[in-house]
Amino acid sequence: MKASDWLKAHPVEAVTLSPEASLPEAATRFLEHPEVRDIYVIDADGQVCGHLGFRRLAGLLLAHLRPTHSRRQLVERVTTGVVREHMDDHVLCMQPDERISEVFHHHMERRVEDIPVVDADRRLLGVIRVADLLRQAIDRRD
Amino acid sequence: MEILLIGVLLLAGLAFGTLGSHFFGVPRVVGYILIGMLFSPDLLGDHLGLDTARWTQPLVAIALGIVAYLIGGAATIGQLRRLGVSIITATVGKVAGAFLLVFAGFVWLGVSVPDLPVWGAPLVLAALATITAPAAIVAIIHQYRASGPLTTALLGMVAMDDALGVVIFSVALALLAADGLASALPLLAWELVAALVIGGGGGWLIERISRLLHEHELRLVALIGAIILLVGLAEAWHFSGLLAAMTLGFTARWFGGAHAERLFEPVEQLEEMVFVLFFTLAGLYFDLSVVVEHGWLILLFFVLRGAGQVIGSWIGARLGGAPPAIANNVGLGMLPQGGVAVGMALMLEGQPRFAEVAILAINIITASTLLTESIGAFAARFGLRRAGELNEANGGHDGEHDNEGK
Repeated sequence: MKASDWLKAHPVEAVTLSPEASLPEAATRFLEHPEVRDIYVIDADGQVCGHLGFRRLAGLLLAHLRPTHSRRQLVERVTTGVVREHMDDHVLCMQPDERISEVFHHHMERRVEDIPVVDADRRLLGVIRVADLLRQAIDRRD
Repeated sequence: MEILLIGVLLLAGLAFGTLGSHFFGVPRVVGYILIGMLFSPDLLGDHLGLDTARWTQPLVAIALGIVAYLIGGAATIGQLRRLGVSIITATVGKVAGAFLLVFAGFVWLGVSVPDLPVWGAPLVLAALATITAPAAIVAIIHQYRASGPLTTALLGMVAMDDALGVVIFSVALALLAADGLASALPLLAWELVAALVIGGGGGWLIERISRLLHEHELRLVALIGAIILLVGLAEAWHFSGLLAAMTLGFTARWFGGAHAERLFEPVEQLEEMVFVLFFTLAGLYFDLSVVVEHGWLILLFFVLRGAGQVIGSWIGARLGGAPPAIANNVGLGMLPQGGVAVGMALMLEGQPRFAEVAILAINIITASTLLTESIGAFAARFGLRRAGELNEANGGHDGEHDNEGK
């Protein structure tokens, strides 16, 4: 199935943030949408410029609970900045005409739970939830 | 036989370290070092016919390259700016204080070794004195749930100061590699400039390559391959492999943008193995006769390094405008010394010119690591308590020493 067809059948509103949002703001967005595990960062032109995962954010804000730190994590703990400084700026996105079966494994290797779909200008069209893919696979088996 | 021994050292070191920590509350590094000692020439080494000098050097060079890469990638320029002036000046003061006091003290006492100028051994030991063990300090902060400006300063400083230590150590080795001061300058320029240029170029390249590798496992191969290649080039072309690997990490982080996890997380998972290796190998070189003969040097190194750190960080923090609660206590929290210094001392052993100073340095650093594990932890607790940042209601949970010394 093509990404555009999936989005029509399973419309999901992506949760987005500005690159200058603070980490507590990002946490608030996650807590407002408990099912969401990936937030997309949208720049001033409306293009996807980054991605922030739930585990990454929780690791940053709960660093004081971790008994061991690498040097990189130590610096992150004491210099907490805005979302722009912690997001993954190499976001792997799908095009609407791509088939899910062809690109799915690339996304899984990135350890993300949602797959963003963008147009030619990199504007976010929607999100494919891996949970929805899983639900459909189980339903088909049954 | 050597491969078998590496396996035994890693597994027995891990078992001994974790059991000692669990049952007796001693730091894991103590177990690692004791296992290494068991295979030293005085005990089992000679019976097993082990010639440590022959096979440990490539391992040490690669392992140190891995650690230097992680040190280089610890912070971005933006993060350094946000750390604040007082943390930066306190770090510089701490490093300078430890270096100068150890160097001056050992020169004054006339501690020297054959094959090096009279200032050679003091220079090497002073460079090693600048290194700190972040994990020991993090363990204390975690144990007591410490928080506040001093805690923040300590965490920032221990993450950064080893970078200065690597630069000082690289410069010291380059100076000592020359036959005289006249030949030292061009040699020094080549060692450092080549390391910065080749390491910097490598950092850019590996960041570009990593964008094409989405699989975690493939990125690990690329990163470790790049580190080993760089260390090998440094050996072949006679530039500082340590500085080059640190520059590789720094530039990879710089070009990698905000989200650098993909470039460092796979390598960070190897750090514990590297430290087990360093401490067990240091144990292999542990020579009781050297320790007994130079016991006073070990004590002197410990005292001068500690005093230099306390005075230097106080001056640096005050110059940077830090409040007295930070300036008066931050040096006390920086005493623990561990794996990186041990690794650097082990690296010296591979070069004939440094063979004498290497044995002295390995034994001084290993013995003083054991000292800093107990006294350093006590001093850090004292400093945090004095600054009012210790939450003692949370103290004393299990695993107090689990990560100290690295």
